[in-house]
Amino acid sequence: MHHEEPFKDRNVSEQSAYYFVDIEAYPENGWDKFKQVARRTFSGELFVGLWVVLREMIKFDIHTVQYPKEKLPIGPRYRAVHKLLRLWESGYERCIGCGLCEKICISDCIRMDTRIDENSRKEVTEYSINLGRCIFCGYCAEVCPELAIVHGPRFENASEQRAHFVIKDDMLTPLDLLKAGEQAEYPGFGAVIPGSDASVKKTPLAY
Amino acid sequence: MINFTINGQPVTAQKGETILQAARKAGFYIPTMCYLEKTTPCASCRLCVVETDKTDGFILSCQTPPTEGLSVTIDSENLKAERTNIMRLYDVNHPLECGVCDKSGACDLQNKTLEFGVSAQHFSAKEQHRTIEHWGLINYDPSLCILCEKCVHVCNEIIGDDAIELQFGGYKSSVVPKNSEKLDCTFCGECIAVCPVGALVSSDFQYSANAWELTQIPATCAHCSAGCSLVYEVRHTSNALGAKPKIYRVTNDFEHATLCGAGRFGFDFGSEGAKDEAELARAVDAIQEHKAIRFSSLITNEEAYILQKLKESAGIKLYNEEARAYQDFMKAYGSISGKKSTGGSIDAVAKSDGVIVFGGRIATDNPALRYAMTTAARHNGAKVVYMHPLEDALLQNVVTQYVKYEVGTEEGVAAMLAKTLLKEADVSEETRRYFDDLDEGYLCAESNVGDEEFERISKTFARTKRKTLIIGSDLLSHGRAQNIARLCAMIEAYTDFSVVVAAPSVNTVGVSLICDLDADGANVKAVGYNAHGVYTMGSFGNVQLRLPALNSQEGTFVSINHQVLPTNVAVAFEGYTLNDVASRLGVSSANTIDYTAQLPVSSGFSGSEFDALGNFYGPLGEDRRGYVLENVDVEADGELEEVEDLPEFNGTVVYRCNPVNQFNAYTAQSRQLEKDTALRGSAQFAAAAKIANGDKIRVEFGSGSEERMFVLDGEMKGTVALVPSYDGAYGAANDRYRFEKVKISRVGSEV
Repeated sequence: MHHEEPFKDRNVSEQSAYYFVDIEAYPENGWDKFKQVARRTFSGELFVGLWVVLREMIKFDIHTVQYPKEKLPIGPRYRAVHKLLRLWESGYERCIGCGLCEKICISDCIRMDTRIDENSRKEVTEYSINLGRCIFCGYCAEVCPELAIVHGPRFENASEQRAHFVIKDDMLTPLDLLKAGEQAEYPGFGAVIPGSDASVKKTPLAY
Repeated sequence: MINFTINGQPVTAQKGETILQAARKAGFYIPTMCYLEKTTPCASCRLCVVETDKTDGFILSCQTPPTEGLSVTIDSENLKAERTNIMRLYDVNHPLECGVCDKSGACDLQNKTLEFGVSAQHFSAKEQHRTIEHWGLINYDPSLCILCEKCVHVCNEIIGDDAIELQFGGYKSSVVPKNSEKLDCTFCGECIAVCPVGALVSSDFQYSANAWELTQIPATCAHCSAGCSLVYEVRHTSNALGAKPKIYRVTNDFEHATLCGAGRFGFDFGSEGAKDEAELARAVDAIQEHKAIRFSSLITNEEAYILQKLKESAGIKLYNEEARAYQDFMKAYGSISGKKSTGGSIDAVAKSDGVIVFGGRIATDNPALRYAMTTAARHNGAKVVYMHPLEDALLQNVVTQYVKYEVGTEEGVAAMLAKTLLKEADVSEETRRYFDDLDEGYLCAESNVGDEEFERISKTFARTKRKTLIIGSDLLSHGRAQNIARLCAMIEAYTDFSVVVAAPSVNTVGVSLICDLDADGANVKAVGYNAHGVYTMGSFGNVQLRLPALNSQEGTFVSINHQVLPTNVAVAFEGYTLNDVASRLGVSSANTIDYTAQLPVSSGFSGSEFDALGNFYGPLGEDRRGYVLENVDVEADGELEEVEDLPEFNGTVVYRCNPVNQFNAYTAQSRQLEKDTALRGSAQFAAAAKIANGDKIRVEFGSGSEERMFVLDGEMKGTVALVPSYDGAYGAANDRYRFEKVKISRVGSEV
């Protein structure tokens, strides 16, 4: 539903679509005020508005978005509730637990806990974002070296309990969605810049 | 004094200093990767190269002393190119795993790579598959290792374990355990501390937190009397555990100080408490009822002072047998030397070229002294005489003469040693007569130390210049401790020996300087503070009133260097402190550390406020920790007593001696430290006691009995077995002479 604004020239001039509104003088004494009220009350302007509503109603061509049943599409770089992505091939979490998002977070709302796992690799055991505090600045997504934490389009974060704002499982791509290929890459902050392959320096290989 | 120039500016160096040391003192920066101030130069990184007007090519500033008039350049274009190339070589195939590496953010390689702007790999080498080694408390990742050899040098030269070496193989080189498949060492963890990259890491800490998340709290180790400096690194735990602050690891200023495994890995002894009014009231009632407090030396000076004030104001008796033994020993010592304390220090031991260790298992009692002896032996070629009934395998690389004497004959040995060392000294007629009248034949025969052994000591120490005598804690609790003290004091007073007494517990020295202690008895009822009693309070196991452990307390300790060392709160304690108990008894102050300034000046304390005390080393290693006690003069009115008949210890004799990295109830709680509670003896001992390896046995002491496992130790010799005492937090046995005749019987069937 792309909508292009028809106004190109925003300066007020003969050619532009803009014009000065004709504002009548403010009433200066009690009698003038009374006349203004009487005029506004008994003129037919009220019925103009009512007629517009009635006309649109009987046309049955209503443009109201039926939120929450219906939602407007959101720009791909919109920064709403975070998502934690998985690796496409293995399904493992992309997060390596480097702690950079925790460090960079300016509202100090990310907290993570890591440990060494059985294969001597770093494992993230706990990851939480307090969305009640988050200001959705996008720094965490920008700093993430693994494109593991990104912003998603889910902007609704009202809940009965604040604790609901911090659950890792809600952010992590479910495995079934991953298998169905429904994990979306994020083109916003921190994403790979188009053409960045060209700027990668190659390691000399003599063998 | 040698005058030379660096970059055209005049610099002076002391004799024996290298160009690098002089440059650092003068404030010049020369980059290094492998340099460690406390070891001999590794000379492996070659980053410290400089140019001079008297040499062709580059020279290594870390191992070259300057000559008079030398002109040194430390930052030419050539040098920069050379150093950048070295950094490029270091970065070849170095895994790009900074994101997960523990060292990231505190990594020398990271810093220097950025400093020299190495942003790409310029050289190539075939990637090799290298496996991560798991050595218990230490993990080693050879692919991260840059082969700087710091770990090898520190292990060999400072610690004395000599447990790791470099396996040379060019690009395939790596650090390997020496002469063994698995790492077999005392797990001091100093190799972890000095590692400039993430190759050697603590297996417990690995991947659990990042360097930048940890809050560093400088403190003093609460395990032995050496008072080593350490830094508690604290972070919150995970949300699932309540996000409470927790000590994640302990680090140290490895450039200038050394830490043993107990300090490094035994940090999790904190206790949690809550304020319970009723319990506090019960504690106060118990103290008022019994009018006596029994306490251990796991206590700060300020708390000891609170107890002393309670004694003065409310007439409460104070019992601490171990500190009282030390106090009596030092009183007898001072009656000859005319000084309240001994004159030696750990640092003096490290700088000496002749050391005598007498009457103590130093390597496990006080690792800092062991490290100082190793340093002395490796760096100064020090002669080390070890006098003890039991040989110690940990010291075999250091000891040049082992003098074995019979158990219990310390007084005779002390007399003979004093006679040997005072041969040339200018002593009074009376003293000379005392030594001339000694019945040498009897003493030598009973102690089983031959004339020729003392002769050898005499010869050795005629040639040495800086001599130290280390007195072990066997002597403090010996029946004739006071005469032994007088004999040892003779040595310090009339020769150029400096003496260090290896006090048995963290703050034995402080307690002995602050408290007037009363003689304890077997059936004396008292309230126990970290000790046994009718009512108990403290930070161990099942005490009735929980008080903070030493890592949750502010305060000071006195180390065996007679240095007053501050310690800080790593993790806050919610409950009451001893100060709260005392304020109910009429000795009140807002904070415990308010007493720091009131510590007795008559014992040498300076009256400094707690907040005025530093706790760090300066960039060139200057000790900025607390202050050193004034060595107060006392009246020298003591006289040597005749040596009594030497006792005989026949039958089954055990020696109270803790395994490596175990000291007290705090280390016994620690998750990472090995908890070996077995009685260890030689095959000879096993045969005499009629027990076999793995037997469950009952050891009957004079004061009680305990069940232990018996382990046959192939490395041990002789008829004395070792019994640990760290796990018996409330045992009064710890205050008696360390050798003891016991009865050993087997319990049940073999396990």
